[in-house]
Amino acid sequence: MSSSPARTAVGGMKFGDHLCLACDNDAERHAVLLAYIRDGLRARHKVVYLAGERRPDETLARLVRAAPGPDEAAVLAGAAQTGQLTIRPVVEAFLATGRFDPGASVALLGAEIDQALAQGYAGARITGDNSFALRGSGRFGTFEDGCRRTFGAPGVRAMAICQYDRRWFDDEQLRRLEACHDGRVGVDDVYADGVLTITPTFTPPGLRLAGAVDESTLPAVRRALRRVGGRGSHLCLDLSALEFCDMEGLQVLVGASQSGTGMDRQVVLRGVPPFLGLMMRIFEWETMPGVFVEGVTR
Amino acid sequence: MNGLQGTTPGVETGHERGVLLHRALMYGSERDFTDVAVPYLRAGVKAGDAVVVITSAANTALLRGQLGTEAADRIEFIAQADWFRAPMQTLADYYDRTRRDWWPRGRLRLLAEPVWTGFTPLEVREWKRHEAILNVAFAGTPSTIVCAYDTSTLDAHVIVDAAHTHPELVDGHGARASEHFVDPAEFYAGCNAPPLEPPPAGAARRPFASGELPGLRAFLTAEAIRYGLPSDRVLPFVLAVNEVATNIIRRGGGHGVIWLWAQDGELLCDVADPGRPMEDRFLGYLRPRPHQPGSAAMWAVRLLCHIVEIRSGEHGVLVRMHLKLPRALGAGADGVRG
Repeated sequence: MSSSPARTAVGGMKFGDHLCLACDNDAERHAVLLAYIRDGLRARHKVVYLAGERRPDETLARLVRAAPGPDEAAVLAGAAQTGQLTIRPVVEAFLATGRFDPGASVALLGAEIDQALAQGYAGARITGDNSFALRGSGRFGTFEDGCRRTFGAPGVRAMAICQYDRRWFDDEQLRRLEACHDGRVGVDDVYADGVLTITPTFTPPGLRLAGAVDESTLPAVRRALRRVGGRGSHLCLDLSALEFCDMEGLQVLVGASQSGTGMDRQVVLRGVPPFLGLMMRIFEWETMPGVFVEGVTR
Repeated sequence: MNGLQGTTPGVETGHERGVLLHRALMYGSERDFTDVAVPYLRAGVKAGDAVVVITSAANTALLRGQLGTEAADRIEFIAQADWFRAPMQTLADYYDRTRRDWWPRGRLRLLAEPVWTGFTPLEVREWKRHEAILNVAFAGTPSTIVCAYDTSTLDAHVIVDAAHTHPELVDGHGARASEHFVDPAEFYAGCNAPPLEPPPAGAARRPFASGELPGLRAFLTAEAIRYGLPSDRVLPFVLAVNEVATNIIRRGGGHGVIWLWAQDGELLCDVADPGRPMEDRFLGYLRPRPHQPGSAAMWAVRLLCHIVEIRSGEHGVLVRMHLKLPRALGAGADGVRG
């Protein structure tokens, strides 16, 4: 976690961005990619997805399954029909000759961008599952350097997310790969108003709260806790960046085991700041059933 | 008059198990004190009660001497100066120790000698109020609490109010009802009768409404630091004021005003709700039940401050929070559990 490169929320990506998405779980990967595709479709960008699967319909089916609802799923399927969302197996694109040619691959990306603009799209969003980089790590740096030049060109109307399944790379490899990018991309905050920021987390699933929970931001916390309900039975609330929380807010956080789907779930409170620990002791909430406070000293 | 025998454990009957006995022992001499305390404690040891003594070093030595080591070793002695430091802290400690350590062993048999010197008039009033609150807070619990009052040294008003706050008095002849006992709610209301002095002209004033609490907190934080509140007390203070303000926004008149100033070694903060009065029946003195979060915020507010005064009436509500400022040379304040 230390010395992390800059993190950009996917919703804040601009033309010229060339960001790295290193995940170890599909929930996080899909949360980022679906937002990236959705924003692109809305902005009349062409989305080119160079997928790890060999069959594009499998990739589309995976994305559709991960979509938050039937409307979003229909939009994806529709965009795949029109070609605004183009899915191509990455092996076909980059490894057609059986061996990875960095120069040819960079040229191909450039051609995709040109084609999208020629087709009348307002821009191009590229994303690729680059876990194949394992196979030719020596030449891979050359490829990413080329990408950086392509997307870093002045006036370019394109952006890219390079996906890496971090389970396949050691820390040193990942660090080197990340260094080839402008930074990391992450999920959008589910709430941010200058007082409180709520961000989804994935390993473990939950929410990270930064800033202050008070009478004005508590409704957003309640909404976020209800929505996160479907994602898993247990929930981790990262409170390490919580600077303030009033008592009703704390009550909602420790009561999160009862919110959501109606099924009881275990809530893990991580990084509880000292002032919250003090209040939990005052109310004896640290022993609340369904709540586990990490690192609390009794 | 039944004599002490009838109400001492050992002879205590089943129906008294869940009954609170709260008695004042007013003594003018060592003899008066030990005549009641020694048999009371011995009977508790014999009955297997949780026997606890909170008194001065002198009275502790006196009791140990008369009880003998065998009995004394089965009694928990707590130093008076450690226990009676700040009213809310003491109340919270009573709640904690009874439930965690004493009641699990059976009936609590406590001999406590509150401290009355070295406190401000406001603190003394709070200590008296807490004597009345014990009747409510521990009603229906298996506890006998005998509070010792030294009539040879204490101010008359302390003795008079002890007769108001204890349902029973006990002496060498036994226990009897206190004819001056006042219903705790009435005594509590009497503690709230004196009007609060208005804030001084130089007090900082700041109105607040929904959505404005982040700014209010930033203001409180900066001012608390400027007034010299120790850094580890700043956030608890801000939490307390924020909580009262939130209550006004959510359940009171919707908006209010705070005043902030320092006076006589204390940081004071008034939070006023001109909108509507608030019911104050031991508000924030009775510990909320664990695992049952409710509108129990005032319990926390009281624990986060030194003393909290509430005045409620036709002109709305005024909540005045007192926090101790450190004296010029060391000597820290207390009142917040950390």
